[in-house]
Amino acid sequence: MESLKVYILVANRMYTDGIRSGLGLAVENHYAFPVIMNGEFPSFSTYMSENIAWVKDMEGQVYSCGAPAPDACVDEDGDKLIAEITLEELGEAMRDADFIIPYGLSKQTNEPPPACAE
Amino acid sequence: MSADPNKLAIFVTSPQNMRHVIGLANAAEKAGKKPMVFFTYKSIHLTKDPRFKVLADKCGADNIAICADSYTCEGYDYIADVPAGLSASQMRTQAFHGALLDECGKYIVL
Amino acid sequence: MKILQVYRSEPNNDVKTLVGILNRDRDADEFNLNVENPDYDMLVSKIFAADKTVCWW
Repeated sequence: MESLKVYILVANRMYTDGIRSGLGLAVENHYAFPVIMNGEFPSFSTYMSENIAWVKDMEGQVYSCGAPAPDACVDEDGDKLIAEITLEELGEAMRDADFIIPYGLSKQTNEPPPACAE
Repeated sequence: MSADPNKLAIFVTSPQNMRHVIGLANAAEKAGKKPMVFFTYKSIHLTKDPRFKVLADKCGADNIAICADSYTCEGYDYIADVPAGLSASQMRTQAFHGALLDECGKYIVL
Repeated sequence: MKILQVYRSEPNNDVKTLVGILNRDRDADEFNLNVENPDYDMLVSKIFAADKTVCWW
């Protein structure tokens, strides 16, 4: 089966599950590139960080587009697991993609209340 | 297996596009195409929409599934509360999304 | 390469930039789902006429 190049774009803080979805494709021998847009990062639980590392191990990469890659998500050597990519670089990279998946919902225009902000 | 040029993959990731899912699946069938649908993450709430069973019946057991982990994470019981129109074997993993990519000649995200 | 851009809502500037890059030197088409009664028959026809479809939020 041909390995496909798949970009999963996450624009909304509630939809960082797109990383898990990418990992699901990686374990099916596809190349997964989940992209967190504009700093909508997940909480970096052990589970989430391990998934991000696993995507990288499977020759994919989790990217941050539009915000610095967070310090909270690093490998055992302290190196950042999430790579930075500009919007223009992302567009050029996605020209070679087999699939582009804008995941979930678009970015909210309002700030989340304390009940769900963390 | 090579992708079937007459098969349309619909990957549902948003909980607010049921009308588009139904509209596209119906239009695909009308055009002689076969829809294959996977619901993941918060879109699994759409299984509670009364239109879901109609969609499931239309697609057939091999061509519609939901992510069992998502269903559980959203608070549902994937053993005691299998959505109407599905059987336990259609409570799947993200591997079903891989099958959509492999089996369908065309693909859309909703 | 024929590429189809589908919009579920009004595209923001990021989406417009990405679409501009993806469409460059390609036969590009688009379809707006953000209307009261989308013509799903036409959308199916466009999807099957395209090599690739991107459906934005």
